[in-house]
Amino acid sequence: MRNFFSLSPIFIVAIIFSLPAIFIFLSLAQDFSSNWVHLVDTVLPEYLLNSLKLFIGVSIGVFILGVSTAWIISTCEFRGKKFFSWALILPFAIPPYIMSYAFTGLFDSYGTANDLARFIFQLDPETVLFPSVRNITGAIIVFSFTLYPYVFLISQTSFLNQSRDIFDVSRTLGLSRFKTFFKVALPIARPSIVAALMLVAMEVLSDFGAVEHFAIPTFTSGIFRTWFGLNDLTTAKQLASILFMIFLFLILIEKYSRRKILYTSNSTSNRELVPTPLKGYKEFFAIIICSLPIFIGFFIPFLQLIYWTIFYETSFFSSGFISLITNSLSLAAISSIICLSIATIINYIIRIEKNNFLSFINKIITSGYGIPGIVLALGVLNFFLILDNISNIILTGSLIGLIFAYCVKFYAVTNSSISSGFKKISINLDNVASSLGSPNRRILKSIHLPLLKSSFLIGTLVFMIEVIKELPATLILRPFNFNTLSVSAYNYASDERMIEAAAPSIGIVIACLIPIIILIKLIGKDEIE
Amino acid sequence: MKLNKLILNNIEHSYGNSPILDKLCLELIGGEITCLIGESGAGKTTLLRIIAGLEKQSGGEIILGDRVISDHMSFIDTNKREIGLVVQERALFPHLKVIDNICFGLKGKKGYKIERAEYLMNIFRIINYRDSYPHEISSGEQQRVSLARALAPSPKILLMDEPFSSIDRALKFSLRKDTKEILKDEKITSLIVSHDFNDALEVADKLAIIDKGKIAQIGEPRSVVLNPINNQIKKQFLCETGDMLYWKSKIDEDNNK
Amino acid sequence: MISIIKFMKNLLLIFFILLLPYQDSFSQEEVNIYTSRHYDSDIKIYEEFENRTGIKVNYITGKGNALFERIKSEGKNCPADIFITVDAGNLWKVEKEGYFQKIKSDKIAKLLDKRFIGPDAKWIGIAKRFRVIVYNSDKFDKNKMQNISYEDLASNDFKNKIAIRSSSNIYNQSLIASLIYHNGESKTKEWLKGFVSNFSRKPQGNDRAQVMAVAYGEADLAIVNHYYLGIMLSGKSGEKQKNAAEKVSVAFPNTSNRGVHVNISGAGILKNSKNYNNALKYIEFLLEKDIQKHIVLNTYEYPIIDKVEPSPVIKGLGSKYKEDKLKVKELGINNPKAVRLMDVAGWK
Repeated sequence: MRNFFSLSPIFIVAIIFSLPAIFIFLSLAQDFSSNWVHLVDTVLPEYLLNSLKLFIGVSIGVFILGVSTAWIISTCEFRGKKFFSWALILPFAIPPYIMSYAFTGLFDSYGTANDLARFIFQLDPETVLFPSVRNITGAIIVFSFTLYPYVFLISQTSFLNQSRDIFDVSRTLGLSRFKTFFKVALPIARPSIVAALMLVAMEVLSDFGAVEHFAIPTFTSGIFRTWFGLNDLTTAKQLASILFMIFLFLILIEKYSRRKILYTSNSTSNRELVPTPLKGYKEFFAIIICSLPIFIGFFIPFLQLIYWTIFYETSFFSSGFISLITNSLSLAAISSIICLSIATIINYIIRIEKNNFLSFINKIITSGYGIPGIVLALGVLNFFLILDNISNIILTGSLIGLIFAYCVKFYAVTNSSISSGFKKISINLDNVASSLGSPNRRILKSIHLPLLKSSFLIGTLVFMIEVIKELPATLILRPFNFNTLSVSAYNYASDERMIEAAAPSIGIVIACLIPIIILIKLIGKDEIE
Repeated sequence: MKLNKLILNNIEHSYGNSPILDKLCLELIGGEITCLIGESGAGKTTLLRIIAGLEKQSGGEIILGDRVISDHMSFIDTNKREIGLVVQERALFPHLKVIDNICFGLKGKKGYKIERAEYLMNIFRIINYRDSYPHEISSGEQQRVSLARALAPSPKILLMDEPFSSIDRALKFSLRKDTKEILKDEKITSLIVSHDFNDALEVADKLAIIDKGKIAQIGEPRSVVLNPINNQIKKQFLCETGDMLYWKSKIDEDNNK
Repeated sequence: MISIIKFMKNLLLIFFILLLPYQDSFSQEEVNIYTSRHYDSDIKIYEEFENRTGIKVNYITGKGNALFERIKSEGKNCPADIFITVDAGNLWKVEKEGYFQKIKSDKIAKLLDKRFIGPDAKWIGIAKRFRVIVYNSDKFDKNKMQNISYEDLASNDFKNKIAIRSSSNIYNQSLIASLIYHNGESKTKEWLKGFVSNFSRKPQGNDRAQVMAVAYGEADLAIVNHYYLGIMLSGKSGEKQKNAAEKVSVAFPNTSNRGVHVNISGAGILKNSKNYNNALKYIEFLLEKDIQKHIVLNTYEYPIIDKVEPSPVIKGLGSKYKEDKLKVKELGINNPKAVRLMDVAGWK
């Protein structure tokens, strides 16, 4: 470590970002109450099993949906490909909890889908055609179809970056396209896909809204139950620490599994893949595979929301509605810019220092993504209380607390796009520049930043979408008289006033679509370049 | 071992409206190394990809050994053509160790695969890097791995696209020598696409010149170099090798031996 | 690059502009409320209060427990003057931990039944809700149902007939807490065993979904808070819910003995309130006749003061009922026990 001062930012950020987590971890030093025995004897095993089932089911689900569509889009040519390549991102706009509201609205015995079926087939009103979705399978479907865009986006980038030569060589060595996918394309894309899966896993395991609605008690439900039902915040924090440690463990495994291997292709000229034109039944299947996730993950829930707003008069476009959208969007934009700057500085330091320990610390910062929002909010409150007392400026209950919580929670999202952006820039460029006498600062400014432009934008936009969708931390940290779309949707939906919840839910979808459309435009541009 | 000849009959190909190959005919004699030289954009790489089955020609037929592998009726897929391919960028599988890269195309028992891979690693003098990952070895060694990998399944024909062009001069010489040795040893019909006449002079049995989508001249490398059928080839040769007189004297010297 | 820097500068500017409105405006009289009631009709109450008194109402909504956690974390910096929540157990918790101060008002003492004033007048009720039984009248005898008690529901007659929401819901926890108070822990444990084995389906959805389940034949009987029926019957949530609510019958349990389980939404003034007088004014305001009327007409709760009639829709549910007179703080005291017993009984 050459220069302590050049390293200090990363440590400061690491410490500040991990403070909320540390406040939660401190609970481990406290006594373990008798509630532990009670939990372990009664409900905890089932909660853990449910979490595990969700984790495995959703990982498989998003893997199949995300990777298969990414592969088809990046290697094949068929009718409607252009449409699919952006439409596949649309389900991003629908938070899992809203999707679960829409799904129960459709598939409950008195839901829209059953009503429709009864009407069409003239069945008596007690017949139920569609199976209930309020179970693990339903939850796995909801999470898979709303979260697969992570895997889709990341693996698509990874596939497009792989060199054509590698595929060609594999095929001359006797492997069919299909086998080449499994033996070459997939292993090379593995780190990116695993990283995406980790994000999904953390989101699923820390989710509360959707699992509550589907009545599946998970580990996170257990945290809430202990806190709210048993009035035992300490045990709740201890449970949250355990969840957090599970994420750290996952990160370690992932890191260990690729100790030595460099996954990027070593070609200097990456000739792009030439998409294979599909004809006949193959084209038909490609279209089916790509339409399915869009249909289930976007159009069905969206239509259900529209149905609710249109068929039951709600004061949809009240003036409050516009201010909700602007609140959500501006909050998202501001916090994403802040988080982006932090991620850039940290990744830059890691790049020039080439220190494994630093990149490990960075990984740890990203695990904030796995802290359930409301637990994180609690940590932020504890932290700000201390700050307030020291500084005499009251930060608690200001937007700053909220923005800080977003940065801690969604740093992982920004970091993943910035760090992969840095990885794409050859280290030779730095060497050449410094041999020409450029100081590091100038290399960052005149070489890295321009080259990182698209990473910046993708990081910002995905972060914004996450913030717009975020609910639990927003609910507890927001200032007086400040509402966002997700809060508004939740206030109604937690009471199953779905019809009233539909308008703000559509607002969330619309607000998310704005960054998504920009994102799509960018990806489109990237392909042309 | 059976020698596999390659016959290209009236190969036509175009991208959009611009024709790339124009009724190109070429015959590679079984067991011979042929070097195909031409300007950038002359259609060298396209021809290689067509032979490999990575692209389909718009007209003409390809015969490998004694079967038609591609004409207007039939098209055998790349993975069933038994072809070896070596590219300038090496294209090693970054997630596999050197040994696993070489075993990649081999079929059969594990013991056999390892035996065959180790045999080739010995010949290409890369046995020390057996368990390294591609990013840990130099570009010259990478190219050796890439050659070993292509040769491991004993392909009917080996196609090489600029195999020596991104390697240090000193290493280039020994790699050319090793490559030639093993190709002759295994009696594999080979086609090297290059822009470097040295490749032809040092490795190949035949030199073919491709120009405007056609084979302009083919023959023993030295005779082609010394008696180019048109000025353009002469000019190109001059550009590539720098010093015509040096080569002329070297060839004369060899002939006198 | 310059444009990006410029862009960031602009964003920072917007950031500060955005922050401004949320800083305390010192000049104006105000009252700050944390509330876990999130009804649109409550906004009208804030507006009305501002109109009448000129005192500005600032508020945030959220889950009761989470807001209380925020109050605790904010400590003496807590800007809130009033905490409003929908379960007596929550009010009791705040009181027990010493975050409420006395509501010094003779007016309130005169107006309210003692049951709805917390110890030392630390908090008061602002509206009542009953936990009632809805059932399919084709499946049960109406006369018999008028005399049903919660205790009966563990009997074998109700095998596979009962629908109820999850045990993580505070309404259920409070109901079980009241049973623990009346019948003791071991009896309640025994009762829960029978009760849970009578469920017709995995607990899911909210109270509204239980009414739908009875209307659509997924269950024959369900336990719900009464005001959900009011909302459904009003037609505000669509024809389908209205029809479902009309289809089912309502019974007020334990009419022949202690009475139906009553819970309240209530309010208290926080210890660190900086606007005590305004807060007091607001709480008194909530008990004004016309405000009570506004509440019962919109949220379908029962009024906390006698002089106001419940909404006509709610009156239609029946008038032969008794109210359980237990002190609502018992609900808070017995809440953790209730959760444990429900876990043991396997109530999901």
